[in-house]
Amino acid sequence: MTTLPIDNTIEDPLHRPPLVLNHDNFTSVTEEICHVNESPKPPMAWYVTLGIAGALAGMLGVLIMYLIVTGVGVWGNQNPVMWGFPIVNFVFWVGIGHAGTLISAILFLFRQRWRTAINRFAEAMTIFAVICAGMFPGIHIGRVWVAYWLFPIPNQMDMWPQFRSPLLWDVFAVGTYFTVSLLFWYVGMIPDLATLRDRASNRIKAIAYGFFSLGWRGSTRHWHRYERAYLLLAALATPLVLSVHSVVSFDFAVAQLPGWHTTIFPPYFVAGAIFGGFAMVMTLAIPARELWGLKNFITMRHLENMNKIILLTGSIVGYAYAMEFFIAWYSAAPYEGFAFINRASGQHWWAYAIMITCNVVAPQLFWSKRLRTNLWVMFVVVMMVNIGMWFERFVIVLSLEQDFLPSSWAYFKPTWVDLGMLAGSFGLFLTLFLLFIRYLPVIAIAEVKAIMPEANPHPHGHGAGHGPDHGVGDTEVDA
Amino acid sequence: MVTPDRHQLGAVAPRVIRLAGGAGLVALAITIVLALVDGDATRFFRSYLVALLFVLTIPLGGLFFTIVQHLTRAGWSVALRRLMEGLAANLQWLWILFIPILVLVISGRADGLFPWLDHAHHDHALEHKAPYLNAGFWIVRAILFFGIWAFLSRFFFRNSVAQDASGDVRYTHAMQRLAPVAMIMYALTQTFAAFDWAMSLSPHWFSTIFGVYFFAGTCCAFFSSLILLVFFLQRQGKLENEVTLEHYQDVGKLLFGFGVAFWGYIGFSQFMLIWYANIPEETTWWIARTQGPWRTFTWLLFIGHFCIPFVVLITKHTKRHRIVIAGIAVYMLVMHALDMYWLVMPLIPDALHHATSLQALGNEIESDPAMVGFTPHLMDVTCLLGLLGLLVAGTAYQLRRCSLIPVRDPRLSESLAFENM
Repeated sequence: MTTLPIDNTIEDPLHRPPLVLNHDNFTSVTEEICHVNESPKPPMAWYVTLGIAGALAGMLGVLIMYLIVTGVGVWGNQNPVMWGFPIVNFVFWVGIGHAGTLISAILFLFRQRWRTAINRFAEAMTIFAVICAGMFPGIHIGRVWVAYWLFPIPNQMDMWPQFRSPLLWDVFAVGTYFTVSLLFWYVGMIPDLATLRDRASNRIKAIAYGFFSLGWRGSTRHWHRYERAYLLLAALATPLVLSVHSVVSFDFAVAQLPGWHTTIFPPYFVAGAIFGGFAMVMTLAIPARELWGLKNFITMRHLENMNKIILLTGSIVGYAYAMEFFIAWYSAAPYEGFAFINRASGQHWWAYAIMITCNVVAPQLFWSKRLRTNLWVMFVVVMMVNIGMWFERFVIVLSLEQDFLPSSWAYFKPTWVDLGMLAGSFGLFLTLFLLFIRYLPVIAIAEVKAIMPEANPHPHGHGAGHGPDHGVGDTEVDA
Repeated sequence: MVTPDRHQLGAVAPRVIRLAGGAGLVALAITIVLALVDGDATRFFRSYLVALLFVLTIPLGGLFFTIVQHLTRAGWSVALRRLMEGLAANLQWLWILFIPILVLVISGRADGLFPWLDHAHHDHALEHKAPYLNAGFWIVRAILFFGIWAFLSRFFFRNSVAQDASGDVRYTHAMQRLAPVAMIMYALTQTFAAFDWAMSLSPHWFSTIFGVYFFAGTCCAFFSSLILLVFFLQRQGKLENEVTLEHYQDVGKLLFGFGVAFWGYIGFSQFMLIWYANIPEETTWWIARTQGPWRTFTWLLFIGHFCIPFVVLITKHTKRHRIVIAGIAVYMLVMHALDMYWLVMPLIPDALHHATSLQALGNEIESDPAMVGFTPHLMDVTCLLGLLGLLVAGTAYQLRRCSLIPVRDPRLSESLAFENM
């Protein structure tokens, strides 16, 4: 698997390029993907990264204990920046979390067959990112031991959460989203879990994979039910993604604070989530395909497609920045105007500069095909997007810094606990992800097979209409 | 290359041009008579602006969707693409319909329509906006918008038709190369056109999502029109084998997704955030639309443009039944016309400044609906039908000689073989 003999990024309107390279039968596909789980030893890099990520995750656990024992004062939060890193991290992770299911479900509804190589990745990423996200508001409430008060549970004190608060909507939105995403991920994985079960080399694996594959036998009836369920979950997940990130944007936009209160927030946050999410998928996919030899499935064309989407969504985010700025001036509201000028030239101007450089300027490199098909260039750009999207939330949250009362203005500084928890959340995320790669089917085996030309035999070879991208027998939404 | 009759409009084109164009002109003549009887020029121009925005959104949506096809290298839609291009090609002449408004602005009598043109009253906020909202720059922008739209729609139409003759894939490459830049140009021009021609009618009010809301409207207008165009052509015996129920279903899905659900989502975002924060600068626009007679109208839009079609279009059965989906398309066009009416007509009442409560204001408006611009008139309907007639005739004119499908597009066979299930 050193070099690829086929360049499937060549644009030829007459032929759809192949999306699975160097395979002409299903057995070899199964072999190659299952090898990730079945090889006796994962690559050395896996141990090293797991070690580092695990250590960071452990540090996160220690820091959370320290926080609970001491109080939220260990964070840099102050008045008026009552929400500092915890909300920045929450929105950052929940944005990445939203992208996974969005990528998977929306590309499914749009019949993008190249999704099959990345959807499992993206969905797993969703689950782990939402776990990281959910943690931050959970530990921010002060009295963690009564976290269940977030839910409207009838109680003898007649105490209820504030139903008019978008933070409560978040509890419902994120909770629902997590549940549906988990189901979507799990249902999609059942046929592949059954494959691993059937190939299990020892009793423990056979029992574990057997338990989770729910007695899958691959009968026509099983497939029929499966396809139905998958389609319905995709159709359910799509509006959920939009609603969840919109609700997250409401956390800010319903307020009267200049810089937060603007009507474009819901779609802008959704676009930002896709943007950041694709960048995170790329961040994970580029090393993974190298380490585990998955280049036949996650081909250069897949990476190029994702880069194009990063360019597109980056442009949408840029559009939203421009609209905010234009309307801040157009509104003729002095506070609105101040908030935006202050963002760009105030005490945290450097954060704004990082945000614009990483989110708007860096993706412009992808206009060039040579650059967007170069692994190093794309890796650098997606890393910048990851950074830029974190800083975007930082910039938004820090609109609090200079509120309506100049006497309370101060410079927000994170503490070492803030920084440690941010690093720790990456550790938790990566730990979960590395375990996923090792123990679960990392590419949707059954779905990848369905997009190979072999899945769609045409004895008479008529027409170019049966290329790999769109052809007869697409699985597709009918709702 | 000889294309069979069912790929050409043939004798249908002159008939449509005569009938629709004639009916349009008659309706416009009636409108002018009604306007002269009414005697209020501003009132007429409000009505005209509604109609103009309505007929503009259809080809604008067509241009957007044509660009999307090339951006995504879509296969399924090729059989429909000529019709999209044909609808969009109207942008080459629609500037003519904009001239009356342009003349009104140049003549300096448009301050009833665009209050920011009124310099007699000292207004701090409008003075602040004057670098953007002034007659000269506004006219330059309008010329720029129409110029860009005409160029883009002509480019895609011309290249696509040229490919019919030679079958050269270079045309496909050329269109795909321009598509990303075209999309950026489209997004910016459409946004600022919405600001200029609809948002600036209430010049103190502002909303960052306004351009996106207008875009959602163009989706509704275009997908409905595309369904009706195909339906009409198939009734005339054209494209019977090429456009199948699969295509109907897909366009129906897009109408559901963008024209109904996305529209509702954006509209809700715009309403909810402003209602919740309750900042006086912003609520004015919504107060005009939620007090007095417009209140019912707003509810009508919410239920009629979102709730009902959401339920009706969610099943595949309605999308795969030609007559049913065509009926829904007509219904959605009516809803879209109401949406444009609702965007343009309501006025923010002066009474807002002295009202002691929302209740009192509501009562005051009820007693005099004209203060919020609620003055339904027959010319609203005739004007809209007039311009729509011209648009239909214009579409037939654009498509009169070319093939109705891109016969030698390299991906046509994909579109013909495409199935949903």
